[in-house]
Amino acid sequence: MDDLISEFLTETAESLDVIDAELVRFENNPEDRAILDNIFRLLHTIKGTCGFLGLPRLEAVAHAGETLLGKFRDGELAVSPPMVTLVLEAIDQIKVLLESLEETGAEPAGEDSALIAKLEDAAMGKLEGAVQPDAPQKPENWDEDLGRELRPGEVSLADLEAAFQSADVEPANDPGEAAPAESAPVQHLGVGDFDPELGRELRPGEVSAAELEAAFMSADVDPGNEPEAPKAFITDDMSHEEALQSAMAELKGVDHVAGGEGGPRVQQTVRVTVDVLEGLMTTVSELVLTRNQLMQTIRGMEDEELKGPLQRLSAVTGELQDGVMKTRMQPIGDAWRKLPRIIRDVSTDLGKKIELVMEGQDTELDRQVLELIKDPLTHMVRNSADHGLEMPADRVKAGKPEKGRIKLSAYHEGGHIIISISDDGKGLDTKRIGEKALEKGLTTHDELERMTEAQIHRFIFAPGFSTAAKVTNLSGRGVGMDVVRTNIEQIGGVVDVASTAGRGSHFSIKIPLTLAIVSALIVGCDEQRFAIPQLAVRELVRVGAGSEHTVEKLHGARVMRLRDRLMPIVDLHDVLGVGEAYSGGEDEAAFVVVLDAGGRNVGLVVDNVLDTEEIVVKPLSESLRNVSAYSGATILGDGSVIMILDPNGLAGEIVSAMEEEAVNDMASASVTELAQQTQRLLLVRAGGTEPKAVPLALVTRLEEFEPDTIETTNGRQVVQYRGRLMPIVPLGSEIRCTEGQRLPVLVFAENHTAIGLAVDQIVDVVEERVDMQMSSDKQGVIGSAIIKGKATDVVDIAWYLDQSRASDIQRRSASRRRKVLLVDADAFARRMIAPLLAAAGYDVTPAGGMHEVKSIAEAGEHFDALVGDPAALDRIRNEGMWTNLPALAVTDWPEDTPADGLTVVLPRSDRGALIAALDEVSQEEKVA
Amino acid sequence: MSSQHSDNSGLGAEAMNEYVSVRIGDQLFGAPVDAIREVFAPQSVTHVPLAPDEVAGLLNLRGRIVTAIDARRRLGLTPREKTETGMALGVERGNEIFGLIVDSVGEVLRRPRAELEPVPAHVDARWRSMVKGVHRLEKELLAVLDVSAVIGTAGQTNKAA
Repeated sequence: MDDLISEFLTETAESLDVIDAELVRFENNPEDRAILDNIFRLLHTIKGTCGFLGLPRLEAVAHAGETLLGKFRDGELAVSPPMVTLVLEAIDQIKVLLESLEETGAEPAGEDSALIAKLEDAAMGKLEGAVQPDAPQKPENWDEDLGRELRPGEVSLADLEAAFQSADVEPANDPGEAAPAESAPVQHLGVGDFDPELGRELRPGEVSAAELEAAFMSADVDPGNEPEAPKAFITDDMSHEEALQSAMAELKGVDHVAGGEGGPRVQQTVRVTVDVLEGLMTTVSELVLTRNQLMQTIRGMEDEELKGPLQRLSAVTGELQDGVMKTRMQPIGDAWRKLPRIIRDVSTDLGKKIELVMEGQDTELDRQVLELIKDPLTHMVRNSADHGLEMPADRVKAGKPEKGRIKLSAYHEGGHIIISISDDGKGLDTKRIGEKALEKGLTTHDELERMTEAQIHRFIFAPGFSTAAKVTNLSGRGVGMDVVRTNIEQIGGVVDVASTAGRGSHFSIKIPLTLAIVSALIVGCDEQRFAIPQLAVRELVRVGAGSEHTVEKLHGARVMRLRDRLMPIVDLHDVLGVGEAYSGGEDEAAFVVVLDAGGRNVGLVVDNVLDTEEIVVKPLSESLRNVSAYSGATILGDGSVIMILDPNGLAGEIVSAMEEEAVNDMASASVTELAQQTQRLLLVRAGGTEPKAVPLALVTRLEEFEPDTIETTNGRQVVQYRGRLMPIVPLGSEIRCTEGQRLPVLVFAENHTAIGLAVDQIVDVVEERVDMQMSSDKQGVIGSAIIKGKATDVVDIAWYLDQSRASDIQRRSASRRRKVLLVDADAFARRMIAPLLAAAGYDVTPAGGMHEVKSIAEAGEHFDALVGDPAALDRIRNEGMWTNLPALAVTDWPEDTPADGLTVVLPRSDRGALIAALDEVSQEEKVA
Repeated sequence: MSSQHSDNSGLGAEAMNEYVSVRIGDQLFGAPVDAIREVFAPQSVTHVPLAPDEVAGLLNLRGRIVTAIDARRRLGLTPREKTETGMALGVERGNEIFGLIVDSVGEVLRRPRAELEPVPAHVDARWRSMVKGVHRLEKELLAVLDVSAVIGTAGQTNKAA
């Protein structure tokens, strides 16, 4: 019985999916009898089986649903959306009951009288008694009488036909011509009661349309059995002919389904458990590996006797592999079957009009992959409907057709399958995504400024970007898109989004066809070999030893120029902690594998690239599973075990490490300027041969511009940069452009303005202790220090920034940098504010507590202003130190802070106000 | 596997424990025969960078990937010389096969179950978590390994306080 139930569950789940989809179709084409017949038949079958299996609750719901559908069929009720909704509700309830049946093996307690009453009311709606008995009668008779004969009664599309046949033929038990025909459906039902006689013919036995036809023929020829027949499947009031006719009609229904959604099930098929297939797959994989091993061993030998058979073995193994792979393939349409229903529900709920277009349903992919992308796909389509498409009125206003359109398509490309989900809705809301990303701490204002729209859109995939509860705050997308991304990446896939405001968005997913065997690049690193899935490899680049590409260092981090863009580079040696990292020297060669890590390129330095090979991915042992650098292990053709690198794992570490490092450096570098600790300096050449040094922490980024992109406007040189004009100031005496050479520019961004400082050449990045030997009167130079054994001018960035700001009327005298004492007990606050002030051209001395403040005071330091938290400033005043200086308090609660004795109280978050106030007080002071 | 040599297993077989005797460092250990799938010589073990210390690497055992666990490391002994490959006890757990790398493998020993004595309380706690008991042999002591505990990953071994 358990087998029966589980078989029933599988079949019914499939039927219900079809019903869902068909109902939606039916709603749109109420005239299409074929659809209705199909739905009716499926539901009827479910009901019949429930009766047979003794599932009264399910049966009652199915029965009520069927009654209502019967009214549609008989043309007694008009089809309307509320009606369809009602039937869908019944279907949903059946699903709920089935779920619990699956879990517990029994129907849940309770009853569904409310739903049934609704369904019955609907059915009664327009007509009374007279017709009603008609539709339900047939099934009822069937249930009661047929229990036993129905024994074969497992449900499938072919079931009714099967029942017809067996009803007709079986009673006679005619071992003659009827037997084979009869056998087929019975076997399909998987019950086996009829097996004894039919065993042999049965084996291949699956139901096909042809067989059914044959069955009907035989039934037709053998009317002698009729007396028994009505008991089985045909209602009392039906003549044999009628029965036959309806059976034929059903058959057509089957054909129809075969052509539409559920094709594979009606073709000649045998049900095989997934475990068997998985087992086969594993065995074949082993066979393939052994074959490879054998081929490699034999390669060197000239043994003709062996060669022939081996060749055949190889070919047969290949065929076997293909065959087994095919058994695992399923059309992607299987994963889409639920979507029409979902779209219908969303459109009904939200009052939107949505058209769902599906292309390439027949595209096949591995069932394991299919299972894994089912949920993400559903999620994304729901998102498109929910958030992507506008309300009909808005669409009309925007000049679009009222009905929104979501298009799903799938196709093969190389060893991958590409699935795209696009809609013609309003597109992603870049601004709000940006705000949200800031709010979530995923980026900073400055970074955001520099990002392209596409980069900002990708935040929707960032972990923690959005949680279901907060979705409504963001009218774009992003519900759990990080989960979607994770799911897709788990199977070695990639997801990306492209969106145009007002035009719609387009999500594309690229996934491997199968997870079992993947193509991999075998690389060498420190005498060891590693596999990298080809899917993640964008390209290979040779570096060093005569190659035009080199790995350069920026700020301690490795980068490589690849087609005019800087790509972060990681060394596999470093990541794995083996051997020595690539030095980047002229004569040392290495390879950079350009990996696609979450849409961004990351280069991985390896010693060499050895081969590509088809590998069978084996899961990692527990003890290795939490090493994120690996996704699995595999056995190569030569029998050795190697690790499979996980590009996302590798890049994830890199990217987060890089970001963290960058943040830390930004925060600390300027502070350390005065603390006399080491700091990173960018060495450049500009106007002369001697190097100049710029504190790297102040540089937002490095760019190169074509000389002809530099324009002159209003007497100033500017360049169009990220949609704005950015002034370019020469660090030397003039901007020196060499024909055909790009001009290196240091970009400084502050708040919403950016300034470019043109240099002749970027020389190096050094980390040194800056010991200022001489201060300077020269404009734009803080002083000179010995860096890398050479006297080097340290550039006063603030002066240059002022130079470029024509609007900045209060241009500060550059002869003396104003000094500020920054007092804040909160180390983090100090690190936040200090670079800000430094960038604005102030010398900052940070102090964490009164102890430090006192020792600074004892050292006789002079300052132009005090900045800090109000409590600390108060105490300094009370101690009688620097009482004549302006004191600027910054706090998170400016309105709660009494301004007694303080020059001004400012909110900590307002950087601009602080700088402005500071500029003002130092100005006043000068005047005074 | 190789332990089907018992002619005299008829009498008192139930009261006997069978052990594969192995040497790890200076100590003689017994691994219960029924816990061991097979004994093999580990060949071409692939080192896995970043793996926990006790994981000696991965190796190919007839098409299956075996995680080699270094018994010396697990027991806190000095690591073997690189040149010594040792021997491996194949242990199946769940769907995975582990290879417990020991210095050498001796004969199969049968000892009366009744003679198994508890591990003395003052033995190092780490050992006590991996040794089920002690048999007194004529010349030396045979420490009975809890193979599963020796294989166990960190998460699974600290089950007992």
